[in-house]
Amino acid sequence: MVTHSQTQRESRSSRVRPYALTGGRTRSRHQLLVETMISVTEYDRDRAEKLLPESRAVYEQARSPVSLAELSATLDIPLGVIRVLVSDLAADGVIFIHPTGQAYSYDHNILERILDGLNKLSA
Amino acid sequence: MRKILIVGAGQAGLQTGLSLLEHGYDVTVMSARTPEEIRGGRVMSTQAMFHTALQYERDYKLNLWEDQAPKIRGVGVSIAGSEGGRDLDWVGMLDNHAQSVDQRIKMAGWLELFEDRGGKVIFHGVTTSDLDSLTRHYELVLIAAGKGELVQLFGRNPDRSPYSTTQRVLSVSYVHGAERRPEHPDMDAVRFNVTPGVGELFVIPGVTLSGPCEIPFFEGLPGGPLDCWSDRPAAGEHWKRMLELMRQYFPWEYERFKHAELTDSQATLSGGYPPVVRHPVGELPSGGIVLGMADVVVANDPITGQGSNNASKCAASYLDSILERGDRPFDREWMERTFERYWSVVEPVTTWTNAMLQPPPEHVMNLFTQAAETPAIRQRFVNAFDDPADFGNWFLDPELAEQYLREVARG
Ligand SMILES: Cc1cc2nc3c(=O)[nH]c(=O)nc-3n(C[C@H](O)[C@H](O)[C@H](O)COP(=O)(O)OP(=O)(O)OC[C@H]3O[C@@H](n4cnc5c(N)ncnc54)[C@H](O)[C@@H]3O)c2cc1C
Repeated sequence: MVTHSQTQRESRSSRVRPYALTGGRTRSRHQLLVETMISVTEYDRDRAEKLLPESRAVYEQARSPVSLAELSATLDIPLGVIRVLVSDLAADGVIFIHPTGQAYSYDHNILERILDGLNKLSA
Repeated sequence: MRKILIVGAGQAGLQTGLSLLEHGYDVTVMSARTPEEIRGGRVMSTQAMFHTALQYERDYKLNLWEDQAPKIRGVGVSIAGSEGGRDLDWVGMLDNHAQSVDQRIKMAGWLELFEDRGGKVIFHGVTTSDLDSLTRHYELVLIAAGKGELVQLFGRNPDRSPYSTTQRVLSVSYVHGAERRPEHPDMDAVRFNVTPGVGELFVIPGVTLSGPCEIPFFEGLPGGPLDCWSDRPAAGEHWKRMLELMRQYFPWEYERFKHAELTDSQATLSGGYPPVVRHPVGELPSGGIVLGMADVVVANDPITGQGSNNASKCAASYLDSILERGDRPFDREWMERTFERYWSVVEPVTTWTNAMLQPPPEHVMNLFTQAAETPAIRQRFVNAFDDPADFGNWFLDPELAEQYLREVARG
């Protein structure tokens, strides 16, 4: 998959919208892999308060971009559950699922965090 | 909108999910495999489905392959005699056609349809620890994961499970290029062939990725000559072996298959499992509860070709129970009642199927023999594949069978 991280950042909200409109369809194949990154589109305190504790924790963590592996390790929630929470939050349009692709393989910082998350998961 | 989670994207899970969407429920399905992986994977079943089950699909416009799949108009029975001959060979006509759509096509297509119709799909093999935290995020969690590991959440019910070991060793190939059964060259029928002491060979006309096909399916007695798949032969060798066994034990079928070829490299399957009925409610360490459906709770041997039919009937029955529940909670008591309602549908199928795993008693052989002369008996037998509750009225009990034969004789 080709990603264009620059233009993407600018058009993020327009990318999220159709996803929200279709009620979280994964037909566009948001692959929720361990290295998939998510982030909150626009933090909304009221919204946060209405969420169940686990979803809320995910939402808070994703105020800065975070991988599924990191989320699972930091919050101590099984990966399968993280996938469901993330998918639900994305369907509601409150978080953005970054396309998986090469973009991050050059960002050593993020790669290290993902690896770190994975290590904690397997430990 | 009530939030429902369904684990497992097979006949039961997807039919339930798709029909719940039509009624405005918020449904998430968790599938261990993507549509691409399902299409590119191994065949899973022979999936002959009869009218009632097919109609449940039509009701929700799920019958996307109705025009492509051969219409199965009859069911035939052949019983081998001595020296390669047959003691019995007849075919009965179905009132309404049956069909078999390769589950690789159907489940992949239904998953995509489910997404198109607004359902959420998460591709992930679910573990019990996932479920433990997931139950509180949904009002109802249905486990439709077939015979996978999640069945461990549900205890076996010994009162409803007469067997504890595998009763048949299964082996399947999907093939192109078979000839029609010479007895009815213009009509497709499921053929049920029996060689006493060896096992059964079903042949089911179906549709697969590459078009219409035939699906020969051995049900071998454990320890007998059809029980020879533990070395997991590669596809080509698997079909060669099936063909050779056909030549030896079902020579009349061999004749029409000898030039047939596998439809694809994933078109073979072998295995076996003990038939079992389980308790329907699974409890998680967190105290959350989940409801099992279809094969998870009632897994019959496929000797009567009823599992997908049951899964469809289970989906329809659970749907009714969910709709009737309105806004009230899906508590344990509701779960128990929901299962018992389905059990009243599937109990006759289980009883009949378990009976068919035993050598046929005298009154059944008598019925089969008389059926050769009397179309009405054939018809009643083959149409009971659609409505197995009817077997209890005449077929399963020696006295009722005799009474029925007297009625038929009177005309
Ligand atoms: C050889 C053979 C021949 C058969 N022939 C017939 C026939 O002719 N007619 C008939 O009616 N029936 C037949 N059956 C039975 C029929 O195939 C099954 O009964 C039917 O498919 C059951 O449907 P289900 O939805 O309960 O389960 P399945 O179809 O098994 O679907 C379960 C789904 O859940 C998924 N899953 C499992 N575990 C997990 C997990 N942890 N997380 C996420 N997903 C998971 C699986 O990948 C699968 O997609 C046959 C079976 C066999 C083995």
